[in-house]
Amino acid sequence: MPDVAHNNTITFPDGQSSWSALLKNADARIGEPDRFDGQRVVFVVDSMQQAFGAIIYGLTHGLDYGVVERHRVSPEVAGRFAENGVTLFDWAAVTVMGDAQHAGDTLEPGRVTVLTSGTTGLLKLIPHSWDTLNTFDRVAELPANTWFLPYQIGSYAWFQMVALGLFKPGQNLVCGDFNDLAASFETALHTGQITAISSTPTFWRHALMNIGFDLIQSAPLTSISMGGEIVDQAILDELGGIFPQAKIRHIYASSEAGAAIVVTDGKAGFDAKLTDPARAIGVKVEEDRLYIRSPYSNKADASGWVDTGDLVERRGDRFLFCGRAGNTMINVGGQKAFPPDIEAYLNAHPNVVWSQVTARRAPLMGNLPVAKVVLTKGADTTTAERDLTEYCSKGLAEYAVPRMWEFLDSVPMRASLKS
Amino acid sequence: MERQEILDTMNLVMTNKGREPITDETVATRDANFRSLDFSEVALRIETKLGRELTFDAAAMRNIDTVKDVLDFFEKATA
Repeated sequence: MPDVAHNNTITFPDGQSSWSALLKNADARIGEPDRFDGQRVVFVVDSMQQAFGAIIYGLTHGLDYGVVERHRVSPEVAGRFAENGVTLFDWAAVTVMGDAQHAGDTLEPGRVTVLTSGTTGLLKLIPHSWDTLNTFDRVAELPANTWFLPYQIGSYAWFQMVALGLFKPGQNLVCGDFNDLAASFETALHTGQITAISSTPTFWRHALMNIGFDLIQSAPLTSISMGGEIVDQAILDELGGIFPQAKIRHIYASSEAGAAIVVTDGKAGFDAKLTDPARAIGVKVEEDRLYIRSPYSNKADASGWVDTGDLVERRGDRFLFCGRAGNTMINVGGQKAFPPDIEAYLNAHPNVVWSQVTARRAPLMGNLPVAKVVLTKGADTTTAERDLTEYCSKGLAEYAVPRMWEFLDSVPMRASLKS
Repeated sequence: MERQEILDTMNLVMTNKGREPITDETVATRDANFRSLDFSEVALRIETKLGRELTFDAAAMRNIDTVKDVLDFFEKATA
């Protein structure tokens, strides 16, 4: 594991700190780490500042640990932790919550527990270490950056960004406030210091609707990373137009497969050459299903491959993402319509900020595609349904044209920054 | 549901697709360019409006030939 970049700064809503200062405060608050002997502990925190304190404390003292926000700890979630032998520790009150659990043989010092609700909604504890979370370790030279950090505490994406700030000198973090992410992003942009951001397409669509265009365009961004959901050509083109100076990349990563595919050519999907077996990070596609073999993965079969459960489709010299296996295709009277394709087409319309296509049960055809759409400000909502139907009829198969439309006022965004 | 309301729903589907609205009940659905997908959409829109799923008589659905048949069908299904 590399050394901690102790002088990197972390900016919170109420001030700035460094890893050194955070460790000093954490040691003073929590005391000797032997109180956690024999325990797999998850620190329950109320703020980003507490979370960062817990991170550097656990890393420095080699704990088997993780962090979770207090509001996520329902009785069911607490039960889930207990089932896994996890002791919950209240960072603010400096005391164990509920009963201390004894990890016994399952204790793994150095393990970092990442939390994900995944697609099932059920909290999952994903075992990692700082080695598997430090996905930037292969980047030899990284220019100094100030990153806006929009992710939820304890998520895989959050840990990746924290690892970047921990181990890569010159990588400073500015934490977003999840109570009003757009407002905190706006505040951060006003400082003129944000040079990089890792987020999702939904985050950007949300920001572009809620923050003045001039302010966004004035940001001196040199590095934009996106992931977490399908990155379509429309958002790549839009950000490329706003930030011609920025290196825009989209990253395929998951909490189980790790970070595996980084695309920098400004195009959606990934180059089919990445499936070359000689590559260090393996990518293979079997029956349109994506498999990854990565040193950052935490779950693989005997041959090292992780079945991602994501579907891709070969188009020319690229593979495009088609969504998750099992819940992507809409069967319209025996014809297959794919929501990601329809959404990508809709998102390319100049009046569309965001779209989501789902199936509705319908007589005769079995299912019909229906769409939720957020229009650009000022777009004519009275003609939108007809205009978009006509637009889709020109570029999509008839069975793939959404049949009913719902127009939303804002981009819905979950805690994962996905929609 | 009133016959006129059903016809209005059919014509909303038609005009959204840039087609001429239907004015003659006796015309065949094929000649009016009213397709199976449109029939399914009209059913979905009616279900949404009524807030309940409709029960359809598959045999009656197979015998639909004219616009009048469609109107009769939905009139009966929503009764």
